[in-house]
Amino acid sequence: MSDLSEIAESLVERDIVKTEGLIKAAIDAGIPAGEILNKDIVAGMQVIGEQFGDGEIFLPELLMAGEVAKAAMKLLKPLFARGKGVKDSTGKAAIGTVQGDVHDIGKNILIMMLEANGWDVTDLGIDVAPEDFCVAVRENEFQILGLSALLTGTMPKQKETIESLKAAGLRDKVKVAIGGAMCTQQWADQVGADCYATDAAEAVGKFKLLVQ
Amino acid sequence: MKTLTGAERLFKTLQLQEPDRVPFFEAPNRQIIERILPGSSDDDVVEHFDLDAIRVDDRKIPGYLIETLDESHFRNQWGTIVRVTSESTPHPVEGAIKTEKDIDTWCPPDPDEPWRYEKLVELVKRYKGQRAIIASFADPFNVANEVRGATAHYMDFVKNPDLVDRLAGLIRDYYLRYIRNCIEVGADIIFISGDYATTKWPMLSNEHFAKHVIPVLKALADEAKSRGAYVLKHTDGNIMPIIDMILDTGIHGLHPIDPNAGMDLGEIKKKYGHRVCLIGNVDCAYTLTWGTVEEVREDVKRCIRQAARGGGYICMSSNSIHSAVKPENYVEMVKAVRDYGKYPISI
Repeated sequence: MSDLSEIAESLVERDIVKTEGLIKAAIDAGIPAGEILNKDIVAGMQVIGEQFGDGEIFLPELLMAGEVAKAAMKLLKPLFARGKGVKDSTGKAAIGTVQGDVHDIGKNILIMMLEANGWDVTDLGIDVAPEDFCVAVRENEFQILGLSALLTGTMPKQKETIESLKAAGLRDKVKVAIGGAMCTQQWADQVGADCYATDAAEAVGKFKLLVQ
Repeated sequence: MKTLTGAERLFKTLQLQEPDRVPFFEAPNRQIIERILPGSSDDDVVEHFDLDAIRVDDRKIPGYLIETLDESHFRNQWGTIVRVTSESTPHPVEGAIKTEKDIDTWCPPDPDEPWRYEKLVELVKRYKGQRAIIASFADPFNVANEVRGATAHYMDFVKNPDLVDRLAGLIRDYYLRYIRNCIEVGADIIFISGDYATTKWPMLSNEHFAKHVIPVLKALADEAKSRGAYVLKHTDGNIMPIIDMILDTGIHGLHPIDPNAGMDLGEIKKKYGHRVCLIGNVDCAYTLTWGTVEEVREDVKRCIRQAARGGGYICMSSNSIHSAVKPENYVEMVKAVRDYGKYPISI
């Protein structure tokens, strides 16, 4: 952690009070919000993602880090809104759990991780019908659409949703990512998804590559 | 060897001895039942497939859902709002304990209400001695996850461990009493469901499991064992980092040895087969769902070959016979367990 900034380190330590204090001080010192996001928050969450991926931390610690990042983003967001932050969001994504499936913890963790990495994320909710995914893609400018399915029985809905996007002429408008406990890269290839990740931390890295 | 009753077969297996054949007691999801035996009750299914045990889950007993909110949303006995789907277990959407203060006024249900045990009493009268009687319920860790809301509950382990212990204690006390009552009316086996792990890792650190979760499981196992019942623990996922502490609670059986999470039945049999009966591992993510009947037979043979010698193996799926399993694959699985599971094992 020696290369990390003080803010990033306090995020990795999941210290919400210290992180907020350091960010307020950075803002007062005139550091642009975009720089704080990229050099501090994203860098800290990258370490958290790696620790989670390596089994060094678990769900409670990951979610706590997400809370700290969320508090940090709350301080930075008004600056972006007033155009003082310079930096636009990393990207724009929408995530939903497919029709027939109501599991949301994986989806929520991914949303939290993406937001902490500067993404503008729309939560489409659970049990989302293919036509509703299509409406969301048609009416918005999402770069990535994430389809979550925990159950073997609902994985075919990922395929059906991708086919509905094709039928509606929307497939080229958005990159599609799939995830869920039973999903594999083989399944992603089979259903024509652009991206598959084993967990939220991996997904953040892959999403970034998709929009570069 | 003489043919054993289903109950004798299971008990011998749980004592890590060889019975007459590998036991099997997995009933399918309601949707699958309708496609195999339309209009049949759960009891009809048990008899049709001659299952070695019959299971009553407290979440399926009428009365567990105490209030109807709309056509798919209900409040359950813990105050959690759940959504009923085509899957076996309703999915929690809103917990009852939203803030720390809520626990002061939160009342766990009354475990002594007689209606909870009516189905169990009926099954005991009908099957006792012939088929093992299993009472099942969710692990207090998972009930707490629903009552508190998963995200808040996980964060409590870091932010507010006292709340974790207080909530777990209230749920544990309910189930200690529930276990006692179930065994008094004739339950032979206590089956504690609820996952501890994702496909990659356990959900919590070893320290958090050891301090907050395992002691509760041990208390429940001790209660059941002190009253002469067997204890089975279910958890999906890769539990290898915590398997020793789970087995140290003294459970008799471990289910479902999830191959999708890299749980290797053969290796676990070699390392832990002398300590615990292994249950499951027939792949329900791919083989039972998308595979052919030939693939199902091969997977059953693999499991029996890897784990049945010497006893201590119950052949079942790697999670459940969920709504996407092909009905013909379930039927083939039952047949294959009977065909290849006769002792002495010869495959």
